[in-house]
Amino acid sequence: MDFKIDVKNLDLFYGDKQALFNISIGLPEFQTTALIGPSGCGKSSFLRCLNRMNDIVPNTRIQGQVLLDGRDIYAPSIDVVELRSSVGMVFQKPNPFPRSIYENVAYGPRIHGLFKNRRELDEIVEKNLRRAGLWEEVKDRLFQPATRLSGGQQQRLCIARAIAVNPEVILMDEPCSALDPIATAKVEELIDELREKFTIVIVTHNLQQAARVSQKTAFFHSGYLVEAGETGALFTTPQDNRTQGYITGRYG
Amino acid sequence: MISSFTKRHRKEKWFRRLGLASLFLALLFLGSIFGEIIYKGYPAFFRTVIARESGQISLLNPHARYHLSEAQEWIIASDDVDMYYKHGYVGKQTPTQIQTIEDLKKQGQIRLVFNTAFFTHSDSREPELAGIWGALIGSLLTLFITFLTAFPLGIGAALYLEEFASKTRFIHWIEANINNLAAVPSILFGLLGLVLFIHFMGLPRPSALVGGLTLGLMSLPVIVVTTRAALSSVPTALKEAALGLGATPLQVLFHHVLPTALPGMMTGVILSLARALGETAPLLMIGMVAFIGTPPSSFLDPTTVLPVQIFNWSRSPEMGFVENTSGAILILLFILVLLNGIAIFIRKRFES
Repeated sequence: MDFKIDVKNLDLFYGDKQALFNISIGLPEFQTTALIGPSGCGKSSFLRCLNRMNDIVPNTRIQGQVLLDGRDIYAPSIDVVELRSSVGMVFQKPNPFPRSIYENVAYGPRIHGLFKNRRELDEIVEKNLRRAGLWEEVKDRLFQPATRLSGGQQQRLCIARAIAVNPEVILMDEPCSALDPIATAKVEELIDELREKFTIVIVTHNLQQAARVSQKTAFFHSGYLVEAGETGALFTTPQDNRTQGYITGRYG
Repeated sequence: MISSFTKRHRKEKWFRRLGLASLFLALLFLGSIFGEIIYKGYPAFFRTVIARESGQISLLNPHARYHLSEAQEWIIASDDVDMYYKHGYVGKQTPTQIQTIEDLKKQGQIRLVFNTAFFTHSDSREPELAGIWGALIGSLLTLFITFLTAFPLGIGAALYLEEFASKTRFIHWIEANINNLAAVPSILFGLLGLVLFIHFMGLPRPSALVGGLTLGLMSLPVIVVTTRAALSSVPTALKEAALGLGATPLQVLFHHVLPTALPGMMTGVILSLARALGETAPLLMIGMVAFIGTPPSSFLDPTTVLPVQIFNWSRSPEMGFVENTSGAILILLFILVLLNGIAIFIRKRFES
């Protein structure tokens, strides 16, 4: 079976400490894969391996392979900058640039030269703000500081910013953990729409959220991938005792 | 239970009082120092002059014979007359001279005027003719050289260490040493400058070039340390956001890190330059202590700077120089307060 991202025997070390043990999982294209598990289980670390964001943490070491469309992203020939433009990321805490709403979305297209003139850039900004469901709310104040938006709006802006560079994969690291339920619902709706165009990997603490937005779910525990499979099946008939314990709320 | 709460609250109350008391004590010291300097220094901004028509040549300054040929109505009096007229202090004057001064007073032929010479003249053997102009120009030239050396080197080193260097043992060792250098007594930098720039490179001795380079060496570690602090306070989330969009590390640096860190960096640079401006010890070490009667016209000319000028005047026995010392200190303090004010302004301006 072909996967958009295929991870094979991945080990991750922070210094002497091993954070991930022999992870193998395939992430299907145009689907949302949820990574769940208790705090410190390595799900965020795993996510950050997929766009090599762990590179900026000193003393990290990787063994194994992460294949994006069959190419190992840790091969020496891979340009990390290019990789990150095709594997976008949305972070736990909304982190808009301290610039205008417009400039936040325009930044990616600017550095990658994705437009010929100002009109095209305007179109890119509008299109991506619309895709993120933010256009109606901000169209009259595009040139106001993004930091004045509410937390939920900021997070959707960050999603608009991420998709504006036309990535193939979007990694989301607990994107709703800092948001209220209404904002969360909006972001979840958005994730569902984005799945048509992008492959999405989402780390979440919220099991209901995983059940709502994902087609595939992977359960991590103390650095090991315990179980992965179709979301409905994993939640109704978990194969492993630890998975069962976690999803029924016995620990986590 | 209740007594434990009262005890704890009482402890806090006492701690607050202690803090408040130390604050007041510090303010008292500061206030008395400033009060003393201002009280002693403000008369330096005024000078006694005598009308030329009075013809009292013996009461005029020793250079008055040059001025007598000019068409000046009022001529600067000698420092002894100045001291007597301002403070009633009797120096070398004879009783007849004192009587003459009293007579001139009655005739309105002696008065105080704003001391423009203090700002337009350079150093002089005569306190009534000495001014800070040469030292001010010297300070400006020296500070310019200091800025040219310390700013690019300091910012460059800090950027490399903070953003690009891999954290090897060698880098850690360098970092620790830079932090130590920031705490080294300034006079040692004078020694370094003496050996490096004068003995080794043979640059002209009391010049703005050597002084500026020496102060540059002194400011360098401070600029590195403050710049690194400003850079490391840039949130990681901001860098990750840009990296996640496919920005190169250089783009992250120039588009996001530098604009965010700039106010902190500027504050550090301005404050370290202010420190260099007020520094005396290293300059004495490299021989910038000579009497310089003319303002420097190039970076290689013999130069003196404001704090050294103050130091030189403070060693002179004449009462007039005591006044000049305090006056020059006031000017130096004013410039330093101005620089600090600019640093605060920049910080506030960019924070909002």
